[in-house]
Amino acid sequence: MKKTLYSGAAILALAAGSAQAQELIFPVGEGDFAWDSYNAFADEYDLSGQTLTISGPWIGDDRDLVDTVFAYFEEATGATVEYAGSDAFESEIRRASQTGGLPNMAVIPQPGLLADLAAAGDVAPLTDEDAAWIEENYAAGQSWVDLATSENEQAGGEALNGFFYKVDVKSLVWYSPPVFEELGYEVPETMEELLALSEQAVEDGFAPWCIGLGSGDATGWPATDWVEDIMLRTQSLDTYDAWVSNELPFDSEEVVNAIETFGEFALNEDFTGMSGAEIVNTDFRDSPDGVFEIPPQCLMHRQASFIPTFFPEDAEYDFFYFPAFESEDLGSPVLGAGTVWAITDENEASRAMIEFLKTPVAHEVWMSQSGFLTPHNGVNTELYANDTLRGMGEILLNATSFRFDASDLMPSEIGAGAFWTGMVEYLRTGDAQAEAASIQSAWDAIK
Amino acid sequence: MFDSTIVSGILTIIIGVGGMLAYFWLSNLVLDKVIFPPKGKNIGRNINRANAVRPWLFTFPAIFALGLYLVVPVFYSIWLSVTSGVAQDGWYRNYEQIFLNQTFRVSLLNNLLWVLVVPAASTFFGLIAAQLTDRLSWGNIAKSLIFMPMAISFVGASLIWSFVYHPDMDIGVINAIRGLFGAEDGVTLIDGQVIDSFLLMVVLIWIQTGFAMVILSAALRGVPEDTVEAAIIDGANPFQVFFRIKVPQIRGTIMVVWTTITILVLKVYDIVAAMGNQYRNLEILPTQMMQYFDAGNYGFATAISVVIMILVLPVMFWNIRQARAEMR
Repeated sequence: MKKTLYSGAAILALAAGSAQAQELIFPVGEGDFAWDSYNAFADEYDLSGQTLTISGPWIGDDRDLVDTVFAYFEEATGATVEYAGSDAFESEIRRASQTGGLPNMAVIPQPGLLADLAAAGDVAPLTDEDAAWIEENYAAGQSWVDLATSENEQAGGEALNGFFYKVDVKSLVWYSPPVFEELGYEVPETMEELLALSEQAVEDGFAPWCIGLGSGDATGWPATDWVEDIMLRTQSLDTYDAWVSNELPFDSEEVVNAIETFGEFALNEDFTGMSGAEIVNTDFRDSPDGVFEIPPQCLMHRQASFIPTFFPEDAEYDFFYFPAFESEDLGSPVLGAGTVWAITDENEASRAMIEFLKTPVAHEVWMSQSGFLTPHNGVNTELYANDTLRGMGEILLNATSFRFDASDLMPSEIGAGAFWTGMVEYLRTGDAQAEAASIQSAWDAIK
Repeated sequence: MFDSTIVSGILTIIIGVGGMLAYFWLSNLVLDKVIFPPKGKNIGRNINRANAVRPWLFTFPAIFALGLYLVVPVFYSIWLSVTSGVAQDGWYRNYEQIFLNQTFRVSLLNNLLWVLVVPAASTFFGLIAAQLTDRLSWGNIAKSLIFMPMAISFVGASLIWSFVYHPDMDIGVINAIRGLFGAEDGVTLIDGQVIDSFLLMVVLIWIQTGFAMVILSAALRGVPEDTVEAAIIDGANPFQVFFRIKVPQIRGTIMVVWTTITILVLKVYDIVAAMGNQYRNLEILPTQMMQYFDAGNYGFATAISVVIMILVLPVMFWNIRQARAEMR
């Protein structure tokens, strides 16, 4: 009798869990979505009663958005997706890797972390067909395959460890068009013009730049993007690659110069209206708010393509490409990053999810809402929610020189540790040479 | 409605408690009926032996769990610290590298400051609070107020104090007070100067004073009245009664409180992680350890954990000895 009571309660509990499945945000068959790909996928898989656990860095709005994508996967396969997001995802997945409890899949924002997990035997390798599919269907496909390929303990050698989905373009400057219009400012085409515009803003009584480095455990990372973008604008691609692999030491003149160029923006109180310590204490999610206040606290914000997710609701915004120095003659490089999906505890549903991510619909559902870019060249770019996203999507699809976020490629001890701390300390002390040397010594220590 | 976590929680409790009851019942049954049955020609010896074994039966689950979750990890950590990461080139290399690291030395110094300041301040304030609240009619209310921070998690307390220190004059209490005296702009109180460590220590002192107060208050009540009366008759003033008569008699308790807080301070991590962000100058050993752990460098992380353990051990032995002496 008791037994039946408990199992009854357990079944009820399970049923209550799966009843949460969301409704589909775009009805299947309506609009210019690639529904054929979705229907073909739905016909192929029946995973009723199975559960797919996923953990990743998406929280807040991004979490709601990814849930709308999962709804299609659940509808198509009958499986239940349990997603857990965390802003300390990197630490948590490492802990899970050491102590057990890995989810079926992990959405990893740093290829270095993916490589660590794969080397530790926690990642099931993807197949050669997956690699061929990415090369064929992603813009600059080979580079996405290369970025996710490294030593995999389970494969016993080099293997493709992950699938990129949701990519960010980082070399962007956000502003408020009405404010620019009011002040009679033109979008700058070169770095020289951008600096002149900043000076002009100071003269007109505005702080031109909003910068915030606060990000909980990850405080400091927004500054690394600045330094990387500046590296691409002052050095050749080869030098950039040498920096990533530490063939070019961190405290070499080229890197120190890039840090100091960042300092010309961030350590200039006229430019930011804040002390270095205040910049460190400002959360990066709140830092662009000043652009949209009336009167504006600041005029421009350099940040990746995901940032409009955190803009105030009714913000009128546009972006321009963080320009290159006319005097340097290095073309127009683009810095970017992305999240990569890995199978960390294989089951049938996780393989199905990789197949699902190949369908254009899995990309189109998110891109037609907000904050999502994809190098998938099979999607209908008309579906981007607005011109801003479409413009960035085109930058991505047409990238001539594209480089991945350097800190995400460095060993995580540097790229997600010493580099962050070094930048925080640089804003405090203003001593680029000393901080670069300290980052280099941290790198030497792990060699 | 049913929630699967509640159901599984209830099931866990039923299985856990039932399992324990079954363990004690069965193991005693086996002991009494099979191994040392209280009958036959050895009845007296068997009863004595069964009684000698019985305490071990009761403590075995605790000893086993403690061994599994405490002792094994300690040895595993030591093992990792001499084999993992750069230690592959020599067992001492992880230790060598962390001691060469500037940030590690800063952490060590900061930890020393924490250990010197926090237990002393908490014990001192706790002692004063215990004595002062003893005589007040509303002493129990005052005591509850001082004790309340004990109920707040370290991260919660850090958040509260982040608001106290907030640079915005509309949020930060300290800056608001400065504003009352005519200050125009808020100052950033925590900006990575070494001195900021003291601002973080305040949080822990705020939490631990209540703990010290409760223990010391009980001890003060245990001071024999006749010694106090004798002192008063001899003409001692209240200060002399407190510092010369009462405090020496509760010295043992003060030491236990002091060392208990010292051990806690050596383990504190949350406050610096929540408030010190990434400032190198505010690092302490546990935050350093966690950073290496998060970066996947288990060699350095375990080396630091071993250093922390070595620092805690003497304090712990002393604490246990004092506590035992107290109990006698």
